[in-house]
Amino acid sequence: MSLRSALAMLLCALATTLSPRPVTAQGTEAPRVRVELVSEVAGIAPGQTFWVALQQRIAPGWHTYWMNPGDSGEAPRIEWSLPPGFTVGEFAWPLPDRIRVGSAMTYGYSESVVLPISVTPPADLVPGTRVTLKGQAGWLVCEEICIPEEAPLALTLPVVRGAPAVDARGAALIEAARRSIPTQSPWRASFAATPQDVTLMVDAPGLAADRISEVWFYPARWGAIDLTAPQRVRVDAAGITIDVARGRLTEAAAAPIEGVLAVAERLDGGTVRHGFSMTASPTGLGVTKPTSLASLLSALGLALAGGLVLNLMPCVLPVLSIKALGLVQLAGARAATLARHGLAYTAGVLVSFAIVAGALIALRATGERLGWGFQLQSPAFVTLLAWLFFTMALSLSGAIVVSTRFTGAGQALAARPGHVGSFATGALATVAATPCTAPFMGAAVGFALAQPWPTALLVFEALGLGLALPYLLLTLVPAWRRLLPKPGPWMTRLKQLLAFPLYASAAWLVWVVSQQAGPHGVGAALAGVVLIAFASWLHQSLGGVRALWRRVATVAVVAVLPALIVGMVALAPLGAGARSAPPANEGLGWEPFSPERLAAARASGKPVFVNFTAAWCVTCLVNERVALRSSAVADAFAKKGVVALKADWTARDPMISRILGSLGRSGVPLYALYPPGSPSTAPTLLPQLLTEGTVIEAIDKI
Amino acid sequence: MSTHDSTRRTFLAGTTLAGLAALSIRGLTPPAWAAAVAKVGEAAPAFAIDATTGKGVSLADQRGKLVVLEWTNHDCPYVRKHYETGNMQALQKETTAQGVVWLTVISSSPGTQGYVTAKQADELTTSRKASPTSVLLDPTGVAGKVYGATNTPHMYLIDKNGLLVYAGAIDDRPTTRRADVQGAQNYVRAALEDVAAGRAVRTPATRAYGCTVKYA
Repeated sequence: MSLRSALAMLLCALATTLSPRPVTAQGTEAPRVRVELVSEVAGIAPGQTFWVALQQRIAPGWHTYWMNPGDSGEAPRIEWSLPPGFTVGEFAWPLPDRIRVGSAMTYGYSESVVLPISVTPPADLVPGTRVTLKGQAGWLVCEEICIPEEAPLALTLPVVRGAPAVDARGAALIEAARRSIPTQSPWRASFAATPQDVTLMVDAPGLAADRISEVWFYPARWGAIDLTAPQRVRVDAAGITIDVARGRLTEAAAAPIEGVLAVAERLDGGTVRHGFSMTASPTGLGVTKPTSLASLLSALGLALAGGLVLNLMPCVLPVLSIKALGLVQLAGARAATLARHGLAYTAGVLVSFAIVAGALIALRATGERLGWGFQLQSPAFVTLLAWLFFTMALSLSGAIVVSTRFTGAGQALAARPGHVGSFATGALATVAATPCTAPFMGAAVGFALAQPWPTALLVFEALGLGLALPYLLLTLVPAWRRLLPKPGPWMTRLKQLLAFPLYASAAWLVWVVSQQAGPHGVGAALAGVVLIAFASWLHQSLGGVRALWRRVATVAVVAVLPALIVGMVALAPLGAGARSAPPANEGLGWEPFSPERLAAARASGKPVFVNFTAAWCVTCLVNERVALRSSAVADAFAKKGVVALKADWTARDPMISRILGSLGRSGVPLYALYPPGSPSTAPTLLPQLLTEGTVIEAIDKI
Repeated sequence: MSTHDSTRRTFLAGTTLAGLAALSIRGLTPPAWAAAVAKVGEAAPAFAIDATTGKGVSLADQRGKLVVLEWTNHDCPYVRKHYETGNMQALQKETTAQGVVWLTVISSSPGTQGYVTAKQADELTTSRKASPTSVLLDPTGVAGKVYGATNTPHMYLIDKNGLLVYAGAIDDRPTTRRADVQGAQNYVRAALEDVAAGRAVRTPATRAYGCTVKYA
């Protein structure tokens, strides 16, 4: 042996002896993996859960495995010998790499990996004593060949009173590992399977395809998808779709597929990879499995029943009752005339339903997540509906005589040969029905929206038919009309009574506006109500004035209504913004960002944290979930009185773009922390990948 | 001389297999990336490869018999677990006694772990007291790839009609621990029992565990 190699061996031996707490695999050969149990804390507080981690340092060229090792390999494990009362959790697995070995695909780690584990000590530990956590770690390490290795683990910590000190090295390792541990996916996922392929669909609307450089789905278990097959990924307005060949376990495509979706996003400074743990449920609507006739028929049945019940809902009942009362007065009319009116009415309902359903289906195709009554998400539409109900109610109360137009009372019905009135009543009934949901409807609409468009349309038309059916039957079947009571003064009283469900509907809609557009919206809606009442009075009561002037005055008053809507829409964002922070940011009470708000907060000597974010930014989403929403961060903000401002760049607001530029960035995420004191001090820019630790540390420093 | 002959025969058999594979790909849906991998429930792919005796063994010759295929690599720790505990040998003895054809296949390419010459393979059979019907040498990996063998051990069961009825692990304990052999559920034995009872194999596919097959 040369002197040089002898020296090298001696140095090696020394290094091994001197390195902190080395644990080596047993056996004569040098281990490929050195493991160590590290801890986030330097002491144990009785009863308080803390984190430790298995750190693996892996020899170059070798790798260890993820929880699903893939086509070959084996996940590491620890057999614990814990002191009494201690419990430990499972490994939290950082996002793995794909390691292709010959004809097999495996998932694992190279160089090094830190696998955190939570430890809960018993509450009756005695401060001042020491506790040793022991275990035997086992793992498989592979290069071309595979070697099972194992090593004993031991970690001794003192039991302390109060909050334990941080173990700087262990805490740093665990913190870094946490950044790559998948977060719960905020998106719904489903899959459809054919005998050859599995198509995974992730409802992640609004992602920017050009920002996403890579998507890969890592299944949690072997068998559902072919791991070696390429994953064909599409990112569009509706979300992410992945097509991949099926795996060898036939039954695996019948149960939900669990796994981790890795999404790499391009940011200003490079690319970051995020993991989302998700469960994709089978849709049962796969390409091979068309909707069964039975489920379609049951959906159609439910839709029809739902439509029938809609007739009884408070927003529709008055309209339809008046329509039916018309029939009472028309008892003597020719059957053919009546039938034509009934059919015109039905056509009005069906055409309106087709328009509403068509719009809904088309919007969903572009990735909007909408349901029945989606129009009601617009405060302007809700206000218009409230005014419509109010006007109809006034007419039923007898305050205005537009009732013939709207509700098609008997005389008008008989007088109109064109049936335009009946068709319009059908349309009106549809509009009036939109804010109402009847029993049975939910299931049918839910089914419809998951179907290809022709089926969906069919279900909606069944719903419309159900709505139209009672009146249609009354006009078509003379025998049924005999069941109607004889005309008389009771009809006027009933009509007046029926005004009240409509007033109630209008009041409810104004309340909805208050939720959507805040006080400004309610103000506009109620001002409109006053104007409508005024217009009806002008119309009815200016008996001495010439008809022309009366009409001009009415039109002038009514013309103010659109102005009110415009005003409300303009003011709505303000009202809505002030109402409450979006639910994704509970805890920090984000205020919308504006340069003025920033300047004002700084002038008052408060520190300010600005969160530049966008709905399509995956990294922003992860940061909010991982760091900004935590209660520890909220406490840190509260302690220093930090003002939290959110600059939403979803619509690429030029004002925000300018500020990003002035901070040397061209995109989001960006987190700027303005310290208290002189307003000219430059802000601290936090890293693009936040952890709870980095945020709290930055706040503590100011 | 005989080595030379056998190599050539292997090559010829390999070419035939590749041709068959290509044909069967065309028949199925053809994703461009996919090798024609054996599928449970379908006809087991044909093969004709040399045994350690120098004679060719083909699947076609086994018609009417149950066939177990065992991919192996004697240095792989997972294979060693099953041989050093006598678990694999016991299953070989038990099944071959019932007339099952047990074919041990070695797909390690020359220079990789588990590669052996015919002589070394026979010595291993003797020293380990193994009792396969034949040990087949597949250094080109052509049979292994057609069967989609990814691991050692990787087990297959072919029924008397030539249908593949089981593919996957030997048992449900994917570890190298000797102690895990006791009490493990042996999937090959279970599949054989199902076939003997005339019912469908209840667990027809599992994730194989072990070392990767050392293909060229």
